[in-house]
Amino acid sequence: MTGGMLRTLLGNRTLLLGSLVTLVVLLGIVFGPMISPYDAEAMDFIDVLTPPDASHWLGTDSFGRDVLTRVLAGGRISFFASFCGVLLGAAIGTILGMSAAWHGGWREAGLMSACDLLFAFPSFVLALFMMVVLGFGLHNVIIAIGLTYLPIFARLSRNLTRSLMHEPFVQAARLMGQRPARILAVEILPNILSTLLVQASVGVAFGIVMEAGLSFLGLGVQPPTPSLGVILADGREYFQRGPWVLTLTGLVVSVALLGLNLLGDGLRDLTDPRLRKAAGP
Amino acid sequence: MSPIAFRRMLRRAGILLLTMSAGALVVFFAMKAAPGDPALAALGENARPELVAAFRREHNLDQPVVLQFIAWITGAVRGDFGRSLTLAGGVPVGQLIASRLPVTAFIGFYALILAAGVSLLVGIVAALQRGRFLDTAMTSLAVLGVSMPDFWLGYVLVFFLALNVPLFPSYGFVSPADSLGGALLSGFLPAVAIAAPMAAVFSRVLRAALLDVMHRPYVQVQRSLGHGPAFVFVHSILRNALIPYVTVIGLQVRYLLGGVVVIERVFGIPGLGSLMVDAAFGRDYPVIQACALTFLVIVLLTNLLVDLLCTRLDPRARA
Repeated sequence: MTGGMLRTLLGNRTLLLGSLVTLVVLLGIVFGPMISPYDAEAMDFIDVLTPPDASHWLGTDSFGRDVLTRVLAGGRISFFASFCGVLLGAAIGTILGMSAAWHGGWREAGLMSACDLLFAFPSFVLALFMMVVLGFGLHNVIIAIGLTYLPIFARLSRNLTRSLMHEPFVQAARLMGQRPARILAVEILPNILSTLLVQASVGVAFGIVMEAGLSFLGLGVQPPTPSLGVILADGREYFQRGPWVLTLTGLVVSVALLGLNLLGDGLRDLTDPRLRKAAGP
Repeated sequence: MSPIAFRRMLRRAGILLLTMSAGALVVFFAMKAAPGDPALAALGENARPELVAAFRREHNLDQPVVLQFIAWITGAVRGDFGRSLTLAGGVPVGQLIASRLPVTAFIGFYALILAAGVSLLVGIVAALQRGRFLDTAMTSLAVLGVSMPDFWLGYVLVFFLALNVPLFPSYGFVSPADSLGGALLSGFLPAVAIAAPMAAVFSRVLRAALLDVMHRPYVQVQRSLGHGPAFVFVHSILRNALIPYVTVIGLQVRYLLGGVVVIERVFGIPGLGSLMVDAAFGRDYPVIQACALTFLVIVLLTNLLVDLLCTRLDPRARA
């Protein structure tokens, strides 16, 4: 990391806090399940529904499983699902949006109308609908999240590409006889990537909420796979006897998402100089 | 209405109809592509073949897909979405939608009004107190609000409020048709859970819009003309900041409705959302199609409404 980057990071408190929380969360979900003395799936019928204490920081659930270990393992699955879904939607959406902007005409009009149509469904209803069409399960959650994000990235990359298409450096590449695919990938993509990345970082946070929502209703990841939605749904079952499972799991999820959202905010301030000025002290 | 405005309205109505038809097409054929046989799903895997055949005949499933679509869409225009495959021996789906829609509309509007009201207050205070303690506190709270899953918030609200304050019921819903007061009371916690992330988004947008407008030259001109700060704020600053604010509220309605679907299940509210989730479990295709289409129409109509509202707020868009 260069000195300039470090200074930017330290100067922007939102970005700093966001990156720190996100880093801790990522380390937690990658290494947590390995370090933890418990197994996310191992049942222990002696320690059933014990409130949080020194040995079980978030308590245990109705099968005596350590909630913290489950949350970390579930966080890993939920983050993976959301990340893959957003990546899928971003990759396909960006390719479609950029080539639509390049070709113009009916291809552009067609893609934008399709995006308008997808935008007209409530996002969660669209995801729910996709789960019925595809069937429940982790893979289809990823596809559903991807489909929800596809129109967002398609529209964004199309608008950004259009705004750059008549810039001198693009014209120069054109006159040199470069192929369109090469111009889009080498000349235009690096210039719009930062905006797309900001959108993606916020998207991952929403994707996690979407996975949790779908699995919470039982339409997403299916137990015993511990995704965050599955753990929250479990916690609801015995909410009266062990309220900490649902409450604390949700609290941990909220803090993790807070980190991701702050990171997105900080990156946005950084990439948009107009906002940087208006963002306040 | 001028001829130009009339032509614009006509064009917009045309686009609306076109989007609805395209939506109907997508919803129908995507559902047909879904794995599993609805007849076997409804009757059980080991149903007698003649029963399955009768079921297929009754629900039009034995015809070519294109004919099924034509039958479905001509019925849908008249509000006839076929019969439910699972519920109470084939209730007409149109009837189900009609009974559930008012509940969802009530909860949705309730949450929208709460979110708009809170965000109007928070956004204005944060913008006026920019950089001071109140601004920092409210802005931080707003980011937290965006980060909390709404259905989890619903449960926490039930746990800490409904179980301690007997005023709010923790489960169940009083229809607004029976008692408006009861509906407002029983719908309060669900509406708060749906509204919280929305209010956070709205107030962030309003704050940014207000700060953006505050330093525009025309605001300075108004001040230099000797108008008081309150007058300038209401007539020049707020009025102009409302345009992006209303636009974002319109765009967020699709997320708000998503929240309604989950929250209805959490609180056991018999609305469109819980109907759709139940139908998803039962593979009740006609009901899922009708629900998806109804949500689509709600969003499209909201977009139209927001467009009209923005035209009223922004004379430049009237043309």
